Amino acid sequence: MALGLEPDVILVVAEQKDGTLNRASWEAVAAAQQAGGDVKVVVAGGDVAGVAKELAAADVAEVVALQDAALAMYTPDGFVAALEALIAAEQPELVFFAHTYQTRDFAPKLAARLDRAIVVDVVGIKGSGGDRVYVRPVFQGKLSADVKAKGPAPHLVSVQIGAWRADAVKKGSGAPVREVAAGLDASTIRQQPEAPFKEARQAVDLSQAERIVAIGRGIKGQEHLAVAEGLARALGAEIAASRPICDAGWLPMDRQIGSSGQTVAPKLYVALGISGAIQHLVGMKGSRTIVAINKDPEAPIFEVADYGIAGDLFEIVPAMVAELQK
Amino acid sequence: MKIAVCIKQVVTREWQLRVNENKTWIRDSDASWEPNEPDAYALEEALRLKEKHGGEVIVVSAGPARVQQAIRDALARGADRALHIESDALAAADASAVADALAAALKDEQPDLVLTGLQSDDQGFGSVGVILAEKLGLPHATIIMEVDASSPTLRVKRELEAGWFQWVSMPMPAVLTIQSGINQLRYATLKGIMAAKKKEIRKVEAPAAAEAKQEVVAVYFPEKGKKTQMIGGSPAEAAAELVKKLREDAHAI
Amino acid sequence: MRETLDVDVLIVGGGPAGMSAALRLAQLQQQKGGEPLAIAVLEKAREAGAHMLSGAVLDPSALRDLIPDFEAKGAPLAAPVARDDVYFLTPSSKLRFPVTPPPMNNHGNYIISLNKLVKWLAGQVEEAGVDIFSGFAASEVLYEGERVVGVRTGDRGIGRHGEKKGTFEPGVDIKARVTIFCDGVRGNLTKSLIRTLALDEGRQPQLYAIGIKELWEVPQGRLAPGTVIHTMGYPLRHEEFGGAFIYAMPEGQISMGFVTGLDYKDPLFDPHMAYQRFKQHPFIADLLKDGTLVRYGAKALPEGGWYTVPRVHMDGALIAGDAAAFVNSMRIKGIHLAMRTGMLAADTAFEAVRADDTSKARLAAYQQRIDASSVRAELYPVRNVHQAFGYGLLPGLMYAGFSLVSRGWWVKDPMPSHAGYARMEKIVDYYSGSAPSPDVPSNAVKTDRTLTFDKLTNVHYSATRHIEDQPSHLIVHDTDVCRTRCREEYGNPCTRFCPANVYEMVDDGAGGKRLQINASNCVHCKTCDIMDPYQIIDWVPPEGGEGPSYENM
Repeated sequence: MALGLEPDVILVVAEQKDGTLNRASWEAVAAAQQAGGDVKVVVAGGDVAGVAKELAAADVAEVVALQDAALAMYTPDGFVAALEALIAAEQPELVFFAHTYQTRDFAPKLAARLDRAIVVDVVGIKGSGGDRVYVRPVFQGKLSADVKAKGPAPHLVSVQIGAWRADAVKKGSGAPVREVAAGLDASTIRQQPEAPFKEARQAVDLSQAERIVAIGRGIKGQEHLAVAEGLARALGAEIAASRPICDAGWLPMDRQIGSSGQTVAPKLYVALGISGAIQHLVGMKGSRTIVAINKDPEAPIFEVADYGIAGDLFEIVPAMVAELQK
Repeated sequence: MKIAVCIKQVVTREWQLRVNENKTWIRDSDASWEPNEPDAYALEEALRLKEKHGGEVIVVSAGPARVQQAIRDALARGADRALHIESDALAAADASAVADALAAALKDEQPDLVLTGLQSDDQGFGSVGVILAEKLGLPHATIIMEVDASSPTLRVKRELEAGWFQWVSMPMPAVLTIQSGINQLRYATLKGIMAAKKKEIRKVEAPAAAEAKQEVVAVYFPEKGKKTQMIGGSPAEAAAELVKKLREDAHAI
Repeated sequence: MRETLDVDVLIVGGGPAGMSAALRLAQLQQQKGGEPLAIAVLEKAREAGAHMLSGAVLDPSALRDLIPDFEAKGAPLAAPVARDDVYFLTPSSKLRFPVTPPPMNNHGNYIISLNKLVKWLAGQVEEAGVDIFSGFAASEVLYEGERVVGVRTGDRGIGRHGEKKGTFEPGVDIKARVTIFCDGVRGNLTKSLIRTLALDEGRQPQLYAIGIKELWEVPQGRLAPGTVIHTMGYPLRHEEFGGAFIYAMPEGQISMGFVTGLDYKDPLFDPHMAYQRFKQHPFIADLLKDGTLVRYGAKALPEGGWYTVPRVHMDGALIAGDAAAFVNSMRIKGIHLAMRTGMLAADTAFEAVRADDTSKARLAAYQQRIDASSVRAELYPVRNVHQAFGYGLLPGLMYAGFSLVSRGWWVKDPMPSHAGYARMEKIVDYYSGSAPSPDVPSNAVKTDRTLTFDKLTNVHYSATRHIEDQPSHLIVHDTDVCRTRCREEYGNPCTRFCPANVYEMVDDGAGGKRLQINASNCVHCKTCDIMDPYQIIDWVPPEGGEGPSYENM
């Protein structure tokens, strides 16, 4: 398969857990559809016919349910073996993933197994064919890099969560679903996973949050945190803060964003009562959409915001929560 | 236990990021350097495992002569010896090339465990550890919060999304990428610094470079293409307008 | 368990004085042979040079003596001085001095980055086999009676409420036969030595200035590399001492700074604002147009001169460099004197250790060496110059000119002077009749974050890093004074003279104000320790390895 202008086949590797499709997989499908050519989707697991049917709603050439008892629980050894074989059979030009924790765990291994290029954490695709470049963040999102994948096909590409919109997937009239037995030798799988469990995390990794509501001095008092927390709940967002809030002990230090805290670049960053001192900006200005609410219309935060409201957050935020709940 | 820790040297957090003349990377010819912070957690984990189970900790790093500073820092904290794959090119190479070099250096060492940080603060591939495992033919696990090496079968705690975790077992030797913040980084003591000067740093030749799998064609500051849209009106009006725009224009919610 | 280390010579501070002392010792060791000396240098910054900030125009005489082949060895000298101009600024124009005053003539000197020079010197020192322990802050002098026997470094891993964290490491006791203190302007250990051993007995009060510096990148060709410009006048009034420096380096880099005497009378004056005002002058604004701010920093300078130098030798110790105020305030040069005194201290220490006699009597040879050297030859004739400026700009200039001829003579020698902090007037006296807000500097300007900056934005460009979870290293002995007496008498001048926004008076929730210390902003300039009118602020080093990162400053 020569690398022409439109790729011949893009294989999208979807992700599921216990029969539930990971929403991010739709984003990978959307990215593949945007890149053009024939899109095929594969989902691997123990019994994934149901998930495959879900995926078949997309306008794709085919959905492959790649099944094996040994794939019922995810392991990198199992998934790499199964996908290696499928890729050899399908000969796609590109293989797309959503950049989930699971993808990070096995996709580079798959690329090394195939001795092929992999570009991870991609937020944009420009050009086509031999000129195609993938845009990815470097230096924790402070800079962007245009990267070319080199060498023979297939090239593996994992797309950043939220970089493409799940609802941008073109729907079709129902793609054919094909069940493929992966035929794995379970004894070659070296990992033995136990059942996943939930636990309250000791420290929060804000860099993984898709949405963040951040609080600054404008919140005026610890007793008012509830206002911001209400918005965070309504948005499904994590709470974060500028340094003065953490210094005062109103929020733990692992919630701090900025040059002496964490650097984040979520899909949505809502800055409440944050003036926008440069120490804070360097920690969040890579965010995709930035909303700022501050009483002072000259606050520097408005320089980096996509949307700004110069007003009283104590009136605006409850109104937002009401809107969101409609 | 023989534990190998792969560390990368990156520009310091404070280094002002400016694009170089070719626009293919940042200006760093005069920079100050430091060990990649996620790798520091991997090193700390290795040192704790050594304290618990005995053995030795070997530090491995690929890069120009300057990475010796990062290596000495690791030796000062308690690593026993080091391998330096001296190469200018590997400093900004893709993950596969780096993993190739690390695999070649570790080939004769036969470590029980290989640890890396989760990802580097500059490129942020998060892939070297995983590719290295494949090149060494070893099992691996990533984003590790806890390591239990008390039995011949390794048992590690993976972090999953959204507050989920999972224990996984695998035989050693194995490769792990370590999540940041899982332990408190120890200081290098004065005695440690002095001792580090006498510890062995073995120079290892970089393998012949294979074809690059990736090429950075441009590096730039992300443009804020849109101008700030200030939304006016009463609080209720502004809130409604904002939510509408976030839904329909920005697709942020 | 506290670590201990025994050495022959301990050098506290890895600046130009400390590095020169270390290198000189290594050279003497090589030349004279014998039992190898154990030498160690302690430096509080994470790496050598990180806390080094200066204009700077270097007189290479000491460097030439220390390392004759410094050029071949790649000493980082940015540009030889090509031209020297002095301007007097008025609010909207400038008057060039037709002739550069002789002390300001920099022919044969080099524009340098002190940070780069010290980094390079550190390389030479390490190559010579001397251990540099960076990231270790000396916090206490160790005594046996009146004899200095070494230093203790600061504990690491202490939380903000004083609790020991899991990573706690107690400080190290480093014992030495001779300790050479090179801890810089208002060095915390030298300050305590002076107090404990009355080293300033019979000396004139020390005088200081604050230097606020920025490194800019402007379109190339605007100023030829090697151009040296000094200005006086606007925006300072006649009662304020100071002026600006502008040094052009290659590739469009401009080293620019503003020096203000820490002896101003107006309690509402803000040195940082004066610098922003200075940048708004058309001459300067044009120079910086379309430029980018690269780095920011600040540091105090010791200006008192010869009569303010404390006793610099005692049982078991010597003091060199800025810590002992070896600065020629007329030439605005101190690096070569720091290097020279570091070398002389090394000569003295070497000989004393070899003779197995490190007593005060033996170490007095240091003072003799200083008196016989270019240090005295240079500093003695200008011994009263800075003090003359205490009487105003005009008297200062007149005396400065006069002193060139009179070799420093004056009817009253030493010329009477007073400590700077004591000259600050109370609001009620300075502003008799009006009641200005204590929260607004008298020389405030609106900053635009392109040419001029607020302190918090500026601090970001100093790349200062401190662990937040540690006790404050700015020790204010009685914060009640801040919200009561000081607020009324002086309007909390610390909120103005600190160039890093460390001190803020915030609402205390009960209608009044309280002092908030943002310790992690601190750039280690020492101005607060110097200028606080009640002298109740003690700057002590934060955890080792922290502070600003003065790349190329």
